[in-house]
Amino acid sequence: MNETVKRAVEIIKSSNTRDLRIMEVCGTHTHEIFRMGIRKLLPENIKLISGPGCPVCVTPVDYIDEAVMLALEKNAVICTFGDLVRVPGTSMSLALARGKGAKVVTVYSPLDATKYAEEHPSEEVVFLSVGFETTAPSDCISVKTAVRKNLKNYSVLTSNKTMPGAYRAMKDSADAFLYPGHVHAITGTGILKELLSEGVSGVVTGFTAAEITTALATVLKKTETGKPFFENCYPRVVRDEGNVAAMKIIDEFMEPCDAVWRGIGEIKNSGLKLRSKYADYDARIKFSLPVINGKPNPACRCGQVLQGKILPSDCPLFGRACTPEHPVGACMVSGEGACSAFYLYGGNK
Amino acid sequence: MCVGLSAKVIEVSDGTAVVDASGARRSVSAELIEDLEPGDYVMVHAGAAIARITDDDENESSLLLEGLLK
Amino acid sequence: MDDRITLAHGAGGSQTSYLIDKVFKKNLSNPFFTADDASVLPRPEGKIAMSTDGFIVSPPFFNGGNIGKLSVCGTVNDLSCMGARPLYLTCSFIIEEGLEISLLEKAVESMAKTAEESGVVIVAGDTKVAGKGQVDKLFITTTGVGEVLPGVDLSGANAKTGDKIIVTGDIGRHGCCILLSRDDYGIDADVKSDCAPLWKSVERALNAVPDIHVIRDATRGGVGTVLYEIAAQSSVGIKLVSSAVPVSPEVRGVCGLLGLEPLYLACEGTLVMITPPDKADLLLETLHKQPYFENAQIIGEVISEDVGHVVTETEVGTETYLPKPGNELLPRIC
Repeated sequence: MNETVKRAVEIIKSSNTRDLRIMEVCGTHTHEIFRMGIRKLLPENIKLISGPGCPVCVTPVDYIDEAVMLALEKNAVICTFGDLVRVPGTSMSLALARGKGAKVVTVYSPLDATKYAEEHPSEEVVFLSVGFETTAPSDCISVKTAVRKNLKNYSVLTSNKTMPGAYRAMKDSADAFLYPGHVHAITGTGILKELLSEGVSGVVTGFTAAEITTALATVLKKTETGKPFFENCYPRVVRDEGNVAAMKIIDEFMEPCDAVWRGIGEIKNSGLKLRSKYADYDARIKFSLPVINGKPNPACRCGQVLQGKILPSDCPLFGRACTPEHPVGACMVSGEGACSAFYLYGGNK
Repeated sequence: MCVGLSAKVIEVSDGTAVVDASGARRSVSAELIEDLEPGDYVMVHAGAAIARITDDDENESSLLLEGLLK
Repeated sequence: MDDRITLAHGAGGSQTSYLIDKVFKKNLSNPFFTADDASVLPRPEGKIAMSTDGFIVSPPFFNGGNIGKLSVCGTVNDLSCMGARPLYLTCSFIIEEGLEISLLEKAVESMAKTAEESGVVIVAGDTKVAGKGQVDKLFITTTGVGEVLPGVDLSGANAKTGDKIIVTGDIGRHGCCILLSRDDYGIDADVKSDCAPLWKSVERALNAVPDIHVIRDATRGGVGTVLYEIAAQSSVGIKLVSSAVPVSPEVRGVCGLLGLEPLYLACEGTLVMITPPDKADLLLETLHKQPYFENAQIIGEVISEDVGHVVTETEVGTETYLPKPGNELLPRIC
């Protein structure tokens, strides 16, 4: 263990603060916290809750159904981040659709999808545009590139989400947030200071052992003061003003919309969709997709897991009907989901 | 939610940068950061450089802890 | 003669003879490899070990090797893991119509060279040609017979509490190299496959420490998968010190970009060895002197708790399970 981590861990272990619920709202934080076994460092009365921070997990079933329909019925080539390939839809995942003849290409970046469209002019290419503010700029650059190169065979199926609505929806479930570092590298800290003025506490942090433990130590120390707090524990990446160019390109191509978060429900103005000016690149419009109402499994208790009301292992499906190989609920579908991480890393071992 | 990797900028041209993460090189969009130059360190996510990095995690965390214990 | 494989090359007539003469006999000729229906071979003295493996790899030529070299290494290494000196190998080719004959020839040349390095003789072969699109360029299946060294008893079920776990080199290079050669993700890195025939090095390790308990090659699924297999077979737990696992910076960089874990990437010339604790230093010292094993490291030990699991010590000083390897490797953004 290096010196910085050691010092942070000492602060955490020796804390005698009041009962505390700290919510991380970032799948990568969830993943790293489980991978490093950070929960085991915390005193009994301090709980870490894995909130709705994984964009794949909060993507509704209908969205997968739309993608499957595009692939199988509209003969579109689906370009997607690997995370989405195995997520179950109402009747099947994209992985299963591939077995039925769908063409699904995994890409590292939305820009690889535009490149694919450019190189395959006879194919209709749809990029699955999911993710939070961190990913939205890349999605927009891909549309910008398609416009500039006049690619008629490229469109995006948006299910982009934004965090502020989620923070407000979850604020009663937690005493403090670990805010996602890379979201705020884009948006800056203005919204977090606004939340502070509403009495919501939290710290924004990075992803290494030193950063996560330092952020937790900060939350514990600041809690002792008894006042709401906000601290930027990731200034090497997160500036107060955020990334102005990135915010500008999002605003140019996308506009806010209401969005359904799987496991939570609809949150006003928590989504992004393409502006009508770019309707030619909106897969829903281009392919006249019908409104689909997907059916999640009713026994799934992901909503309560995301709010920290139950542990993953308290859900009747966990580890039995619902496993990473056969996920049923939102929190099991991606390696970043709370249930998946809990399952894979041995929960409270 | 957002896997990021810090990488060093090797070359910049035309809104694109080649970055190097311990020997793995890839070209990424440089459109989101003004005046990117070879030698800069950036955080890369989904094919775009999203932030210029100014310190390392150890040093920054260490400074934050010192402030906390003051 | 055309420089590409046609269906006629697999039809058994003059084209087939031509291919056999110019590609196979030219490279694989030896007294056991005859025109008869089967080879007749002297019987080894000890127990025999036998293994078979099919090879499909896309692309078939990659940095550090090709499907021909791989097909010999794979079976030679499987035999080596049982402490068996590889003696005889058979090979079966399924070739896609339209493949350049020069590519086939290169693959066969590599097979001959790799067989020679391992001391194994290729004693029989078969060729079929499949229609365009029915196979991807070239599939090779090899079957090997080896003679188990006297006094050696290796099995995945032999790991005992207290044993030390060694990995014989830096991990994940083959899987990473193939990922890069497919160029699906636009990443460029100098990663060479670790594909290598390991028998001679394994033999010297076994000569120094005959009571090694387990040797396993960390092919598909990588070191993580192998450790889980051994934990289950031996009904033990495995404690892994993640920070001790050797990974080259380039492999780490590629994995970082794509959100992958090197422990699940395939190796084709890297083994996991499990040894009684009092022999660990001697074994490590011996390994360091052998080709391909210069970077061998102790990466953990066998424990009696957490049966069936691999436990890792993390950078904050706690323990967690290494996730059980599952599905196909997909890069993630989340």
